[in-house]
Amino acid sequence: MKNLAIRDVFGLTLRDLGKKNKKIFAVSPDLKAATKLSYFFKEFPERSIETGIAEANAIGISAGLALAGLKPVVSSFGAFLTGKNVEIRTSISFNNANVIIAGTHGGLIGPDGPSQAGLQDIAVMRSIPNMSVYQPATAIETRKILEYSIKANKPIYIRISRQANKEFFTSSYKFTEGNPVTLNKNFQDGIVISSGNTLQNCYEAVEKFKKLGKKIGLINIPSIKPLNKSKIKNLLRKTNKVFTIEDHNIYGGLGSVILESLSDLDKKPKIFMHGLKDVFIQSDEVENLYKYYGLDSKGIFKFINKNI
Amino acid sequence: MSINQFNVDCKKIRKNTLECVFKAGSGHIGPSFSIIELTHFIHKYERDFNFILSKGHAAPGLYACLYQNQLLSKKEFFNLRKIGSKTQGHPDRLLFKKIDCSTGALGQGLSVAIGYAIGDKHLNKSKKTFCILGDGEMQEGQIWESLLFLGNNYLRNLITIIDYNKYQNEMSVKDTLDLGNLKKKLSSFNLEVIEINGHDFKDIKKAFKIKKLNKNLVVIAHTIKGKGISFMENDNHWHSAKLNKDNYLKAIEELNI
Repeated sequence: MKNLAIRDVFGLTLRDLGKKNKKIFAVSPDLKAATKLSYFFKEFPERSIETGIAEANAIGISAGLALAGLKPVVSSFGAFLTGKNVEIRTSISFNNANVIIAGTHGGLIGPDGPSQAGLQDIAVMRSIPNMSVYQPATAIETRKILEYSIKANKPIYIRISRQANKEFFTSSYKFTEGNPVTLNKNFQDGIVISSGNTLQNCYEAVEKFKKLGKKIGLINIPSIKPLNKSKIKNLLRKTNKVFTIEDHNIYGGLGSVILESLSDLDKKPKIFMHGLKDVFIQSDEVENLYKYYGLDSKGIFKFINKNI
Repeated sequence: MSINQFNVDCKKIRKNTLECVFKAGSGHIGPSFSIIELTHFIHKYERDFNFILSKGHAAPGLYACLYQNQLLSKKEFFNLRKIGSKTQGHPDRLLFKKIDCSTGALGQGLSVAIGYAIGDKHLNKSKKTFCILGDGEMQEGQIWESLLFLGNNYLRNLITIIDYNKYQNEMSVKDTLDLGNLKKKLSSFNLEVIEINGHDFKDIKKAFKIKKLNKNLVVIAHTIKGKGISFMENDNHWHSAKLNKDNYLKAIEELNI
């Protein structure tokens, strides 16, 4: 699965899990080819529901399926699904309904532009009680997060990317809710914290610093909510400078999560937040967009270098 | 089934609702009183069902029906709208497991009801799902998403009821955003639509017994907001007005039970 796009891994894993777990349902508001729920739809038409372009109804039907004892996965672009805030808040979270909401097209998605891209989805979803928020960075992490989420019994939002990312893990990787995942322990000069797509670019930037003799660590956050506060605090105590990197609005995303986690730490490291500065992105190819917004490895290197 | 007994029950339910809301200091009486017969009928005579009060503000009426049918203790019932109570301002499944769906933000209950019905069918359960919508609630876009879905997907075990009491939060439905010819609209969605008197035992019984349809059933229940108390009927002041002692005693006296 290494070179597959995150969304394909999501779709294929769900299909595979559907073979054993007969309670899984897929609910799609007309975007199954893009979200890759199509794999499940093809294999299990009797457990697949097409709602048409009606996200609110899809969310409500998913809540009802869960309350009846099934395990629905509703998927559409994260921008569209999480825009239905009051429907998710009331029908899913206020019922503590066992629904997986998979918001695809998270981050800088390409020429389709900002209306289609999930850029505030993490902020919106983590503000809702009972809702967990996960974001996989790689193919293996996607599979592990989905396997965990299918077994869990609660509302979960998973932010899914449409792109293929570099693999950092082996099949022995275990997703543990709340746990930060350290990729590079050299924390002496600073720590970079990332989640999802930006992990590979952060890794390259950190490698470059390594060649220059700087010791900069790298932490991946697959479980954005909940995040194990004591674990993250223990890690960040070991440095004076923290750099949070995200392809999401700077308000309410990963950087905010880290700041909140450290709020009661006696001796705080300086935290530098890098992400989308409260803007709607523009259209272009994915790599051009990451470059334009300073979220490619060069941009991330520059941001860290300026502040180190 | 005795019609007289049923009507006496409904009077008791209205009396309990008044007492409960009076003690709590707030609560929606008018919208509660239009659903009493429908809600009591379901809880008294149906055996295996999910009940979704999409117009969640009528919660006091629902709680009074649950109390009448021994599904809620006296202590819990009269602890309306208080910290830690099962009887929160709007139905709250997190605190009261007998509530099949938390509601309160309008427009969402029918979608959840569809999910329940599909789920039960898949699991081969013989449960029915009842969903009560408000007429004002019909202005929500999500309702029409779900109706369009129902026009295309037949669910034998789902009964959708519209509590057509002709008023909404601020004024009449007609003066706010008229629903026009609702029966015609719904029929054009490929739904089986019947109109009943939502306070009439025989009408309700007949509606719930309809079988062998090949379209989803939508019951337009013509009701009266504030039903049962003369000075509350069709007076939208009682949508959520605070009940003072004089009005409370006047209403109780009128019920004469």
